[in-house]
Amino acid sequence: MEQIITYILLALMLIFSVMTVTSGRILRSAVYLLTVLVATAAIYFIMQYQFLAAVQITLYAGGIVVLIIFSILLTHHIEHRMENPVFWKAMISALAALGAVAMIAWVLKDAQSIQNVAGFIPPKMEDIGMALLSYGKQGYVLPFEVISVLLLAAMIGAIAVAKPALLQFKNKNFKQDDQ
Amino acid sequence: MSWDQLLFMRHEIILIILMLVMIIANLLTKDENKEKLIHLASILFFANLIAGFLPARYGSAFGSMFVANQSGIMMKNILNIATFIVILQSGEWLKKEIENKPRIADFFILILASLIGMFFMISSGHFLMLFIGLELATIPVAALAAFEQGKRKSAEAGVKLILLSTFSAAIMLFGLGMIYGSTGSMYFNEVLTNFNGSALGMLGFVFFFSGLAFKISIVPFHLWTADVYEGAPVNVTSYLSVVSKAAALYILMVVFYTVFINISASWTEILYIVSILTMTLGNLFAIRQKNIKRFMAFSSIAQAGFILLGIIGGAGMGMTVVMYFILIYVFSNLAVFGIATSVYRHSGKEKIRDLDGFYQTNPRLSLIMMLALFSLAGIPPVAGFFGKFFLFTAAASKGYFWLVLIAVLNATIYLYYYLMVVKAMFINQSDEAIDTIQSDFPMRLSLALCAIALIAIGFIGPLYEWINNVATAF
Repeated sequence: MEQIITYILLALMLIFSVMTVTSGRILRSAVYLLTVLVATAAIYFIMQYQFLAAVQITLYAGGIVVLIIFSILLTHHIEHRMENPVFWKAMISALAALGAVAMIAWVLKDAQSIQNVAGFIPPKMEDIGMALLSYGKQGYVLPFEVISVLLLAAMIGAIAVAKPALLQFKNKNFKQDDQ
Repeated sequence: MSWDQLLFMRHEIILIILMLVMIIANLLTKDENKEKLIHLASILFFANLIAGFLPARYGSAFGSMFVANQSGIMMKNILNIATFIVILQSGEWLKKEIENKPRIADFFILILASLIGMFFMISSGHFLMLFIGLELATIPVAALAAFEQGKRKSAEAGVKLILLSTFSAAIMLFGLGMIYGSTGSMYFNEVLTNFNGSALGMLGFVFFFSGLAFKISIVPFHLWTADVYEGAPVNVTSYLSVVSKAAALYILMVVFYTVFINISASWTEILYIVSILTMTLGNLFAIRQKNIKRFMAFSSIAQAGFILLGIIGGAGMGMTVVMYFILIYVFSNLAVFGIATSVYRHSGKEKIRDLDGFYQTNPRLSLIMMLALFSLAGIPPVAGFFGKFFLFTAAASKGYFWLVLIAVLNATIYLYYYLMVVKAMFINQSDEAIDTIQSDFPMRLSLALCAIALIAIGFIGPLYEWINNVATAF
């Protein structure tokens, strides 16, 4: 039963991710993406990675897709349709993608699954919480903190790009030109 | 874990404090006084530069997620110097452009943030830290590339950089996942012991390499370089081409020499092919360029190909020559970009043809430009010659004579196009030569620093010895 559901979910993910990139309407793409992300979360649940699944739903499905839809609504006309790519370009991209898929599938075919690597312990929620705040071996407090610098920098960068040149400066400039 | 261990991160902590100081200072200054932030940033960064040279302690912190070693700290100091020069050179641009005025502090904050990312990347002992450092180094630079709001090309550069670097980061992350899948760990030392060269691990390694190669703009992954370099403001371009590239090259080298040393036969083959491609294609495209920024983009691609030559030389010698070459490359490139900045600021011109008759009006700038170009080309009295010479020696010492032959042939090609610029400045006559340029003090200081370094580095023998000691102690 579990296997059947997994395969259904995987098929859903595949179909919808292809639709995400091929759809001409950007809002539809966003909704297809949402389906892919939710299906990913479901797969995490099946694999017993509850924490990851929760993060997937709250952050990706809940946060990021909503953000994407917001920004589409704010900047774009929803009716806007993207042009279809040139046929031969689409073919070359499809070939490259299929080639990559084939290569990765071929490699993964013989690969050992991670559970078989010695010392693997399935993560518990408490362990993840402890690991995020621990500064010893297998502790992730440093990357956790550095990511906060990253987010701060990304925010400042976004503001720097979007901030309009202050009106008063513009006015001053014009006045100088007049004189 | 104790306070002592936190001090291993001195360089990073100082930079984070600097960044916070800039944020607060930005809040406290009125819009009319924003120009003063340029001085504040320069002075603070100079203090940071000096503090970087104070004796440091080496060790690992956070369960060896962060590793401070001698060569890493030296690399951080080199990057500090380079960033200081970029900051000196960008003051004029920030002051003169009216639309930059409210965002002067943002420029410095973003530069500092990206430098913090590079420092963490250099000191990483864990692939996760490496990845986060790399992203922290890239994302602020994408914002900087789109800094000039009035220009379409600048926005285009920003979008291209962020989209393509996201793509490459995703590939790299996928590769890291595979490495984790095949080794069960992401700590450098554990990957080293567990890596068994299985197909999964090798594919992961190749993906990881592609991600880093994108940042260094090695040839199959170089397509973004010219457009981004052309569109971004000149100062950001110089930061991208010098600081970003040097940091990524260093970490590539460290990861190859420490984590993946067991499969050195495989990566040597990859580097062999890729370095030939990078040198040759970079050179061939550089010949055709008319815009000085695009020209420098392709020339820096070619230079990266030469640096790969040094990495092939193997740990020890390879490490020494690469760090030595990076040091020289920093000064040569920054001198060229500094002059390109002044020229662009004063005349709005950025074509190579516009440099015709530059010597008649600006003899000193032309001389410095000539020194820098000679150094990039590797003409004897200047430091670049020694850098190139040692790179060739490193590759030849491993018996890669064909590779060295191809590199030498390439060296003649780019001697040609660097000399074309020199010819434009000194021999070509022009009625519309650019007027005499009066640079401000920081710009002159930065150019003088570069010029002195270019001449001095080649002649100070102990410097090479010292780098050699640092690199072999690594």
